[in-house]
Amino acid sequence: MTNNLLLKVENVGIQFGGLKAVQGLSLELFQGELIGLIGPNGAGKTTSFNMLTGVYKPTEGEITFDGKRTNNMSPHQVTKSGVSRTFQNIRLFKEQSVLDNVKVANHSLAKHSIFSSVFRLPSFFSGEAKMEEESIKFLKIFGLDKYKDELAKNLPYGMQRRLEIARALAAGPKLLLLDEPAAGMNPQETKDLMELIALIRKRFDLTILLIEHDMGLVMGICERIYVLDHGQLIADGIPEEIRNNPKVIEAYLGEEVTE
Amino acid sequence: MKKSKVFWMYFVAAIIVYAVIQGMITGGQLDQYYSNLLILMSINVILAVSLHLVIGITGQFSIGHAGFLAVGAYISAICTMKFDLPFFAALLVGAIVASVAGLIVGIPSLRLKGDYLAIATLGFAEIIRIIFLNTDYVGGAAGMPINQLTTWTYAFFSLLLTVVVIANFTKSRHGRACVAVREDEIAADAMGINTTYYKVVAFALGSFFAGLAGGLFSHQFFLIQPTQFGFLKSFDILIYVVLGGLGSLSGAIIAAVLLTMVSMYLTDFPETRMIIYSLVLIIVMLYRPSGLMGTKEITDYFKFGKRSKGGNLDDK
Repeated sequence: MTNNLLLKVENVGIQFGGLKAVQGLSLELFQGELIGLIGPNGAGKTTSFNMLTGVYKPTEGEITFDGKRTNNMSPHQVTKSGVSRTFQNIRLFKEQSVLDNVKVANHSLAKHSIFSSVFRLPSFFSGEAKMEEESIKFLKIFGLDKYKDELAKNLPYGMQRRLEIARALAAGPKLLLLDEPAAGMNPQETKDLMELIALIRKRFDLTILLIEHDMGLVMGICERIYVLDHGQLIADGIPEEIRNNPKVIEAYLGEEVTE
Repeated sequence: MKKSKVFWMYFVAAIIVYAVIQGMITGGQLDQYYSNLLILMSINVILAVSLHLVIGITGQFSIGHAGFLAVGAYISAICTMKFDLPFFAALLVGAIVASVAGLIVGIPSLRLKGDYLAIATLGFAEIIRIIFLNTDYVGGAAGMPINQLTTWTYAFFSLLLTVVVIANFTKSRHGRACVAVREDEIAADAMGINTTYYKVVAFALGSFFAGLAGGLFSHQFFLIQPTQFGFLKSFDILIYVVLGGLGSLSGAIIAAVLLTMVSMYLTDFPETRMIIYSLVLIIVMLYRPSGLMGTKEITDYFKFGKRSKGGNLDDK
């Protein structure tokens, strides 16, 4: 652990009316790590992601990202401070082209104002050209550049997943949150995805936190794993430890019958 | 620089259209009836395009557009009739005040979504109308007499400005952000787009041009009354946008032109006018459920060859 602490989550919890969806969640992510967040359905994994990205405001605890408290930031502010995400159920901008999807995430890269856009001043042309070039670069990494003019909704499922990751990367994150990136993919696609995640991690010097149900993927690439059940952290450690942790086995498979 | 060449081509074409029609008006080939029709058409197209930005591009279902039309109409009328400002300045003041009204209405109500936003904007438009109805300074219910100052030249260049500004806005990073808000607000927010900001910007820009149309409108008809700006007027504008195809600029323009013609010709049959007008709407929606143009633009039909080069999913 020579690296810096990037994300610190202390005792975070959220309550919806009487329901405590997540409680006492504490995570520590160091620069450059690839961490898994697992747990049975309804354990609160996506809720935790929503708290980290500002969609939900935690009712207790502290979230500190890169030295800044992000508890009360709105999602676009959190994104600008360097956290970007994908969604469990794909949320692409369906009626926009593949290229425009990435350009939207590149929004803050260029600075031309509404005025210069409307009257087509030089800063508009240079800004748009820069965005185009940068966006194509991301599409190329994901092998999507030849579909840049297609509408996002017309891409096959696996490519939509990839496009979502490309878009999240284009927002320029230090921390990337992937919510079930391999959901619905076949084994070959999952394998390709694992390689891709390893590649972008190196290339963009990313820290990644991912939620996944595919244990092969999680155990294969994650350096550490946090396990949630019923809104509480029940275990954390390296994959080997998690695999043999009785609490984790119990959460997934139920209690062993004694007597 | 190819793109700016295309832009100048359109620009020159627009000037030619303007000059030909202006020539025909001064030469007497187009009589009062047709020049009025053209001016009315331009006003309706401005309204349609300005609402297109709010509903079609940003996806905020506002049905109070007549309120901003009323603000522009009354404010510019006050400027020319009470303060003797030149017509050009009056149009500008009307549009600016309308966009400020758009900000005031938009900031609180754009937190709402869908049906709730629709009801809120409808309510605000009615409030605006009632304010004018109860202000004796602008004549109250009896209305306000106004000199006719709107000419084809004013109407045409206002229209040109509206279309250029909104088309250019749409094809920039700001326009893409607005479309992203329409497509998926949560995802847009997660990608770093300040969704509230863009909703308010689109709303204020839309109100600005509605106010501009209002100035042209009031100086076309000699008299303005609050009843002209009721919610039925809002629905008229909404119909242009929906019938043209939500998200299509050229669709909104075509629909506004067609429906203005239809309703102008139908004034000869006052008894059956609304029945036929409604039938036209129903028939179009039956045969083109996503509007005349869907989400396509008219220019999309001219670049089939270019599109297939982008790579078809089937070739893989």
